[in-house]
Amino acid sequence: MVKGTCWVADDYVMAYDIIVSEHWTSPIDPIENSKIVMSGVKEEFNRENGFKDKGYTFIVANHNFAGGGKSIEHVITGLMGAGIKGVFATSFARLQFRNAINYGLPFITCDDIHLACETGDELEFDEASGIIKNITKGTEMQSVPVAPFVAEVSESGGLMNYVRDKIAKGEPIG
Amino acid sequence: MTITEKIMARSSGKDKVIPGELVWTDIHSVMTMDFLGKQCFEKFRSLGKTEVFDKDKVICVSDHLVPPPNQKFANMLNEWREVVKQHDITNFYDLGRQGIAHQIMVEQGHVLPGTISIGTDSHANTYGAVGAMGNAIGVTDAAVAMATGKAWFRIPKSVKFNVTGKWQPWVMAKDLSLHIMGMMHWNGHLLYKALEFTGPAISSLSMAGRMTLCNMTVDLGAKNGIVAPDVVTERYLRNRTQDKWEFLNSDDDAEYDQVYDIDISDLAPTIAMPGKLDDTVTIDKLIGTKFNKAFVGTCTNGRLEDIAVMAEIMKDKQVHRDVNMILVPASQTVYLEALQAGHLETLIKAGVAIDTPSCASCAGLHTGVAGSGDIVLSAGNRNMAGRMGSREAKVYLTSPSVVAASSIRGEVTDPRTFDI
Repeated sequence: MVKGTCWVADDYVMAYDIIVSEHWTSPIDPIENSKIVMSGVKEEFNRENGFKDKGYTFIVANHNFAGGGKSIEHVITGLMGAGIKGVFATSFARLQFRNAINYGLPFITCDDIHLACETGDELEFDEASGIIKNITKGTEMQSVPVAPFVAEVSESGGLMNYVRDKIAKGEPIG
Repeated sequence: MTITEKIMARSSGKDKVIPGELVWTDIHSVMTMDFLGKQCFEKFRSLGKTEVFDKDKVICVSDHLVPPPNQKFANMLNEWREVVKQHDITNFYDLGRQGIAHQIMVEQGHVLPGTISIGTDSHANTYGAVGAMGNAIGVTDAAVAMATGKAWFRIPKSVKFNVTGKWQPWVMAKDLSLHIMGMMHWNGHLLYKALEFTGPAISSLSMAGRMTLCNMTVDLGAKNGIVAPDVVTERYLRNRTQDKWEFLNSDDDAEYDQVYDIDISDLAPTIAMPGKLDDTVTIDKLIGTKFNKAFVGTCTNGRLEDIAVMAEIMKDKQVHRDVNMILVPASQTVYLEALQAGHLETLIKAGVAIDTPSCASCAGLHTGVAGSGDIVLSAGNRNMAGRMGSREAKVYLTSPSVVAASSIRGEVTDPRTFDI
């Protein structure tokens, strides 16, 4: 069970704006990436720790969150470094959806959730049941269940741990 | 099964797969490049491995940072070279043998029909042009594949584009890509899907056109784009790979999520407006629009066929005095072929600046980046704010033929009515 406030994104929040181009060649590092995460999305986030300092736990979005086709993992490490524990959206861009799964950051599909939340609302997410409660509004929504493999990777703390463990034990992958 | 399902079934050792199923598949090759590659190798080593699964199948390319425009990139490249050397990688395309990674992967025979290849850059979808499943992944997936030769995938639903009709002169595969972008939009419909291009108007496309088409499927949100291998594929691959492959195709009773019929007989040159890829218009809406920078290159449109079209249009003409035009061939091989064909002489005489193969300003990192207030007519693949440099620049995306004709006039010009 995770609890905290949410930021409701506008449409077309792109990977490009989450991590702007001058940082694409930086190391993949949660602390460093979190300092500049979201700097291209909104003027108020465009300063060091601008997004992180807001203290949000969740992001709520509509279609194609983190789209625009960028495979860089800085997007995910930046969000994680900024304290984000889950992103709920109608749909996700596949490159970042995949990266999120590989890092064990819940990217949870939930139709039209952006219509049911406002920035600053307090949400509670139950990973086991997939229920997202909006405590502020007193409502709840059922998200799309996570595939068993995805849950397994998440429990391992990400794909690297999952694979490292298999290799160490000499177990086959897949 | 569809061709994508067949590839994923055989790569995961199954007789049949169904959309939604999650599988681990064998990987034919994994590509990484200069600015992410060092981190791939570091992650790979953190898995407890020191030797990659196959030294011939991990392909390393210098494309985003070369030639280094500043000390930061020079230092990054030196670290990159060191790590590639340390792992004794067979296929390293460094400055001098370089090209944009996706061009290198296809042109040098590192992707094979009926197999899966992955790369740490979003336009790895390009590999579908030869009937492979090309897929973009992150550094983590690359590290895992380097260690194990495997990657996990969810089997995508397939969408078929049946393309018929006759291509009008100067209308290119890029126009079809942008047309589909405008028709389908970024949002939703094609997310996670496998896009299959088929029909007489696809059969008649050269490998260059097929690469353009598959390349931009990532920008539709799709998982992959694919053209089933045919005689064009066979001719293209003949001298590029010794590996055996088969003419795999979708079954007649394969299931598709959606099927779209497109007749390209009336397809006009199409342009994406600055800021959003799916905000497309036909060229008539923009005739006369002024711009000050022109760019042809990238993994989307930096191939010999693209350069040949430019040369044909620009022969014995001059780039307009208010326009700076840059051409960056997609690889050293393309560069040499364009030189031998005389295209580069034609373009230099016309006033086009030509730079050494790289991703150039498409990644906003170097070679002709856009400044504040610049209006760019580009044959690249993305036009979001900041993509080519300044967030205050505007980037229109179009085909090489439109960029060429327009650069002579100094304003957006329809190559179909241009006096060539």
